[in-house]
Amino acid sequence: MTRNDPIKHFFIWPALLIVLLISIFPLVYSLTTSFMSMRLVPPTPARFVGLGNYIDLLQNPRFWHVAGTTTLIAFISVGLQYVIGLSVALALNSKVPGEGIFRVSFLLPMLVAPVAVALIARQVLNPTMGPLNELMTALGFPNLPFLTQTSWALGSIIAVEVWQWTPFVILMLLAGLQTLPDDVYEAAALENATPWQQFRDITFPMLLPISVAVVFIRLIESYKIIDTVFVMTGGGPGISTETLTLFAYQEGFKKFNLGYTSALSFLFLIVITVIGLVYLAVLKPYLEKHK
Amino acid sequence: MRKLLLASASLATLAMGSAGTALACDPDYTGVELTATTQTGPYIASALQLAAKGWEEKTCGKVKVVEFPWSELYPKIVTSLTSGEDAFDVIAFAPAWAPDFTDFLSEMPADLRKGADWDDVAPVYREQLMVWNGKVLSQTMDGDAHTYSYRIDLFENADNQKAFKAKYGYDLAPPKTWKQYLDIAEYFNQPSNNLWGTAEAFRRGGQQFWFLFSHVAGYTSHPDNPGAMFFNPETMDAQVNNPGWVRGLEEYIRASKLAPPNALNFSFGEVNAAFAGGQVAESIGWGDTGVIGADPKQSKVAGNVGSAPLPGSDEIWNYKTKKWDKFDHVVQTSFMAFGGWQAAVPATSTKQEAAWNYIQFLTSPAVSGQAAITGGTGVNPYRISHTTNVDLWSKIFSEREAKEYLGAQKEAVTAKNIALDMRLPGYFSYTEVLEIELSKALAGEVTPQQALDSVAEQWNKLTDEFGRDKQLAAYRASMGLPQQ
Repeated sequence: MTRNDPIKHFFIWPALLIVLLISIFPLVYSLTTSFMSMRLVPPTPARFVGLGNYIDLLQNPRFWHVAGTTTLIAFISVGLQYVIGLSVALALNSKVPGEGIFRVSFLLPMLVAPVAVALIARQVLNPTMGPLNELMTALGFPNLPFLTQTSWALGSIIAVEVWQWTPFVILMLLAGLQTLPDDVYEAAALENATPWQQFRDITFPMLLPISVAVVFIRLIESYKIIDTVFVMTGGGPGISTETLTLFAYQEGFKKFNLGYTSALSFLFLIVITVIGLVYLAVLKPYLEKHK
Repeated sequence: MRKLLLASASLATLAMGSAGTALACDPDYTGVELTATTQTGPYIASALQLAAKGWEEKTCGKVKVVEFPWSELYPKIVTSLTSGEDAFDVIAFAPAWAPDFTDFLSEMPADLRKGADWDDVAPVYREQLMVWNGKVLSQTMDGDAHTYSYRIDLFENADNQKAFKAKYGYDLAPPKTWKQYLDIAEYFNQPSNNLWGTAEAFRRGGQQFWFLFSHVAGYTSHPDNPGAMFFNPETMDAQVNNPGWVRGLEEYIRASKLAPPNALNFSFGEVNAAFAGGQVAESIGWGDTGVIGADPKQSKVAGNVGSAPLPGSDEIWNYKTKKWDKFDHVVQTSFMAFGGWQAAVPATSTKQEAAWNYIQFLTSPAVSGQAAITGGTGVNPYRISHTTNVDLWSKIFSEREAKEYLGAQKEAVTAKNIALDMRLPGYFSYTEVLEIELSKALAGEVTPQQALDSVAEQWNKLTDEFGRDKQLAAYRASMGLPQQ
């Protein structure tokens, strides 16, 4: 069989069509639904409303509030994950004694299901039976409203996110660090470069491509946060810790407002895409520079 | 001759066999397989499965219980009903969904609606919750009304009795009014002794609004104006921001301050844990609190679990005159929180007779009585016999606990003034609005009046969006009021 043999179409097209059907059809169906007024509860016949759902959403203060909350959680937690993750990865890369044990134990939180992590966190932060507040009481401090006051609740969710996902950042950055060539460092040492100079001018720039990818992946994942929030605060108090995905869940699975939920999903997709494009555009010059 | 003898023997064997089948299968549903659906177990699903086993032995039929997660159950049922598909023979569902299902359900056969077993079902269920526009379309399979629980040891402690009387001027006893309920909570709120006043669900998404409804029912469920707690039954205007609701919400918020720290994160599970863990002196909630509290394996207060009906009020808001009506006695108002799971047979089922027979077996006094005392079935008392058979309950309660628990359960479903829960198309849209504003009020971000004004405005918008006339008709039917 040569490269131009028409038989290739016989093998390629069915697979391509199946993939397209599986991946594109739900998207097209969901996009169509987003232009309809469609409710399962109370059952109402589908009606074309054009951009009505999108306009309603953009005029809904709750949408902007949850988008803001999600952005806050995503940016702060990913920022912390990167800083802590890079520090730990650098430490582990220095061949410290017992590095193997550290590596395994640091990875454990990432392997636990987010719902289980959130349940553990809820227990740890429990005001009467939780070890954290028991310690506070023993030290003479008052109990803290970890999950019931907006700022504390947001802080608790961010802390849990950081605890669970920093290992992922460590894993990726450590892999990146281990691929850096030794001869560059040897040359820098000959030039009497300090460890800080080596980090600033060699390690960090050379790690930039993988850093960009890791932060990008974590940002997208953080924007999808639902399980931790659902279990820890249920989005409360009020809607102060509600995230975009939890909002979509409430609309879709509690109110069965399918048209509105589809529009919300597409707005969510647009938000993520815009953030991704802006992020890559901002970092592009740096990536080009250190290519 | 041999052939004749063989034929006779075969005939005799067949005759005996069929007589045997008739004896074993009563009624005989051999070859009939029913498909029943409900939420993922153990709650309710395990009750259906336990009954299925007994029914299969009795009738030789088969029951396949199909479970769906809570969030999937409604769309699965509603799509099968509206499409006319014969997917399920029995559906077990939340009463709030009834308005969307009733057009597609078969009526309960007349012979099931008479006799001792029928009369044994508490009147509030058989006359109101199972009835839609004059037709019995479902059978209650679980009773759900809020009651009051308290710690007998704390209430009967001589020092507490003396100190309480000195402070409040009346005897320490299960409260008759909501004000007394808060006084008791205030008295026992002693964090230094690791004891708090009360526990209720305050968490958004954690059944919180049913606890608010219990407070509010005492101030808004006027005996002369039935069915007017949530909406004006003439116009469908939201009543949720009237002074009765505001008072109920103020007291609910006050209760949150007399509860263990972080109680704002309590759902009903945490309420039970706090009561059974000996952290609180009293609480309100479903019957599970008493059952869990009395179980030595789960509780530190076993043997000291007292029960009583919900408190009431001698002042009730009259939505017609827009004034508080003063009564010369305390009106004890019972609130049917959630209302209890319902079992029904879709009109599309081709096995309706067998399906109703299975429901009859499932909800019979013997089978349902056993389910009510079996942990994990989620079945609470809904028959009078469930609340009178002390022997049945002595397996889990002491004699005094059983007497008080059953007394409270019985009074809850037979009270003169019973407030029914809201059952409306789009139920979760209404309750979600309430949950959000409630959480804000509990966190002190808005005043009770501001929160409820916002809820009223949004409820009225939802009503208009769903169709005011349609919603009004459904609301009146759900409250047992004749159509206008």
